[in-house]
Amino acid sequence: MKKRTWLLRFKSIRTSILVSFSVLIISALLIFIAFSINYTEDAVIENSQDYAMQLVEQVNGNLDTYIDYMGNIAYMIIGNQDAGIFLKDGYSEETEDTDQTERLAGYEAQMYHSEADNAKQRLTEQFQTILDSRPDISSIGILGENGKYLINRDDVTLNEYVNYKEVDWYRNALEGGDILTGEVKASISPSHVQNIIKDSYPWVVTLSTPIVDRNTQEILGVFFVDLNYSSINSLGKNISLGNRGYVFILDDEANIIYHPQQQLLYSGVKTECIDEVLEAENGSFVVKEKDDSKVYTFRRSEKTGWTAVGVSYLSELMKNRESMQNAYFLSGLILFAAAILLASLISREISRPLKQLQQSMKEVEKGNFDVEKIVIDADNEISDLGTTFRIMTERIRKLMDENVREQKEKRKSELNALQSQINPHFLYNTLDSIIWMAESGKNQEVVLMTSSLARLLRQSISNEDEIVTIEQEISYTKSYLTIQKMRYKDQLEFEIDVQPESLHMPIVKLVIQPLVENAIYHGIKYARNKGMLMISVRIRREKLVITIADNGPGMEPEVVKHILEKPDRGGKTGKVGVYNVHNRLQLYYGSQYGLSYESAPGAGTMVFVTIPNPEWKEAEDETFIQ
Amino acid sequence: MKPLSSKKRERGRNAFLLTVLFAAAVILSIYFWNRNSAEKEPYRILFVPKVIDEQNDFWKALIEGAQAGAKEYGAELILEAADAEDNHRMQAEILYRAIEDRPDIVILAPTSYTQVTEAAKAVTESGIPLILVDSRLDEDISRSVIATDNIEAGQKMAECIADNLPENPVIGIVAHVEGASTAIEREEGLRRGLSRYADKIVGTVFSNSDYEQGYQVTKELLQEHPDINVLAGLNEYSAVGAARAVRDLELTDQICMVGFDSSLEEIQLLESGVFEGIVVQKPFNMGYLSVETAVSVLQGKKVPESIDSGSQAVTKETMYSEENQKLLFLFRETQN
Repeated sequence: MKKRTWLLRFKSIRTSILVSFSVLIISALLIFIAFSINYTEDAVIENSQDYAMQLVEQVNGNLDTYIDYMGNIAYMIIGNQDAGIFLKDGYSEETEDTDQTERLAGYEAQMYHSEADNAKQRLTEQFQTILDSRPDISSIGILGENGKYLINRDDVTLNEYVNYKEVDWYRNALEGGDILTGEVKASISPSHVQNIIKDSYPWVVTLSTPIVDRNTQEILGVFFVDLNYSSINSLGKNISLGNRGYVFILDDEANIIYHPQQQLLYSGVKTECIDEVLEAENGSFVVKEKDDSKVYTFRRSEKTGWTAVGVSYLSELMKNRESMQNAYFLSGLILFAAAILLASLISREISRPLKQLQQSMKEVEKGNFDVEKIVIDADNEISDLGTTFRIMTERIRKLMDENVREQKEKRKSELNALQSQINPHFLYNTLDSIIWMAESGKNQEVVLMTSSLARLLRQSISNEDEIVTIEQEISYTKSYLTIQKMRYKDQLEFEIDVQPESLHMPIVKLVIQPLVENAIYHGIKYARNKGMLMISVRIRREKLVITIADNGPGMEPEVVKHILEKPDRGGKTGKVGVYNVHNRLQLYYGSQYGLSYESAPGAGTMVFVTIPNPEWKEAEDETFIQ
Repeated sequence: MKPLSSKKRERGRNAFLLTVLFAAAVILSIYFWNRNSAEKEPYRILFVPKVIDEQNDFWKALIEGAQAGAKEYGAELILEAADAEDNHRMQAEILYRAIEDRPDIVILAPTSYTQVTEAAKAVTESGIPLILVDSRLDEDISRSVIATDNIEAGQKMAECIADNLPENPVIGIVAHVEGASTAIEREEGLRRGLSRYADKIVGTVFSNSDYEQGYQVTKELLQEHPDINVLAGLNEYSAVGAARAVRDLELTDQICMVGFDSSLEEIQLLESGVFEGIVVQKPFNMGYLSVETAVSVLQGKKVPESIDSGSQAVTKETMYSEENQKLLFLFRETQN
């Protein structure tokens, strides 16, 4: 047997089709599901990144516009002379006692002072307008290097415990500011608590820009706008990145401008990938955390240098994934079931006609050549095969029928030959005997012998049938024996014992007489004392046994052994007769029937003719009923 | 012999293949079913602070932290509180109602060490797990306690004092409530932190969490021990009350003061130099961690019995640092 893997060896086509189909389909489905889930996952992430990027850009855009707007306000204030005039006046006022002021003297100083007052007036009005129109500005003001200040509606005082010159945003502004907003270079602080005003600690983002004397380029002070932190807060807060997602804003030094959970970051309860974000500036990446993955999407604003970062949670993006996976899974299952069904149908379509063909072949093998039973339910190669098989079977049947007919013909001609073979020899002898008896004037004997001979000839010639009854056969034999007994006088004695039930049973013609003739010529003839011939017919269950026994000299075992074999040409005629009878019986009834001999030297010879008992079945039923 | 055994083997193999297929289908189904059921309903968390008061920075921050946590973990936060910090009966009633309402878990800031224990016990006995936040109960019935490590906080106060320690220190303590666990622990931490100066503590007075009382008892303490040059207030009321007394007696320069918790007034007192330092708790973290812990409990994870939400010493110099600003100043809707 060819070596094949254990997994691929099957006993039927059907199983192999089913199993290989299933394996193929399952793997195809798994691959399909894996691909589609992965693909959808990638697509979802990509989509959400695009979406988050849009949001982040929107945040950046809003911030830029916002900062620009504030820059414009700053430009409006420091663009005109008022701020400078106001601060310069403060400088002179503060140093009133020095020589310098004395040198300026009188009217001129007074003029300047009132001009500064007017500037202050105008600035206050401007501040007032801005504060009234912009609720997102928590405070606005100018702070001088000389300590002079004007904040909001000129209605607040500075926090006495804080020196504004030391706070970061003031110092950054003096250094020139680093962000160009509108027309001015300004500095924007991270979110912080504005503590320079007494009793007020708001969270703000401060935009600050230096105030420069136009003539001397001397820095006189700082203009600042405090942006209400909640407005920046709301820029981030109003962005929706799912239920859990959020936006945070970083400045270029990794300070957090806005983060919804800033405290958690400071205390290390939470961490944010700030360094990676600042390093990449723009783009997106996914960070795996213990429970969930976060998708960072961020863009750095060219204007402010701030980076808006959108954080969304993968599990939220993938919320639909479960239902999607279920849909894939379900459709996979349905496809699988359909495929298995189809596979089993196809395999049945293939294997059923094969099975039918196999069945038909088995029938033929048993000897049933009934071609009508070969029906193949198919429309394919197998049905062609079936048709061919049917034609073949048909032909075999015809051949067999022909063979049987030929055999029959042959047997008939043999029988005829046999019949013609017996007659002449015997006839001459009998006629001689009749002549001899007539010469001796034994009229009565002549009459008996002639009538017996006449009966014998009539029976042998007239009856064309091959089959006769036991009774006919016995009567024929009796006629023959009568003639022989008269010829051999006291040398031959015979006895016929027939079971009456067997009298009507059929038997092939000319069976007993040739055997009797053989017994007489080869047995009785050489008997030392009176020849004795016993014929009996007995029903033995399914068989009918006719026994012909003589008390002749018997035969050597070697002779008995070969007595039924086909004789060579020119052998003894008696042997030819025995072989003919045996051969006919076997041809007619089958190999289990025929002749058998029992003999030993000096013990006589017995020949048994065995033929079927045609009434056996009925007899059996009878015994069964009894 | 051979065909028989191979037929047997084939039958066995077919059965094996079928079993594998079937098992795979079952496992997959269970897996998907579990996944679906795992994320069905958000956890319902009943959060019971001592009080919900917009003006109280501590509780406001704590609730904000809890809300941030709930958002982060996708949980539903149900907020309920008594109308006053000392209304123990009302808090107990809220707890009894929770047994009917059946939230998945209860986070409680008990208003009393002893008086709400019974109600809390009823909650845990009804099968609802309990997480304590900020304060403890006299019985150990909670899965976890998220609170400031008060001993450590007391030690931080001591460090603050040590940095400004005058010669021959004489130390007074203004605590909040006699017998309150937080007062006891903070004083214990303070004493540990002061180590060899611990025996310089000449008196402990109680403000009963009232500015006026704190003011009075501090005045009395200073009259009794005029040589006191170090004063520690163990909560916001005590610290502010004591600071007002010190300011009114114009002893700011002579006395080194350390406060606890923060308020606008306390911050200003720090800014103006009355306080040398204050130790603040991290209520936002406390709230956040309590929800995080609650979610962990509901997810069947092991949680530590006690979680320190941390504290921070703040001085005038460090109060406007990026980190401390967030601890001292809360965002308020109305600014200016």
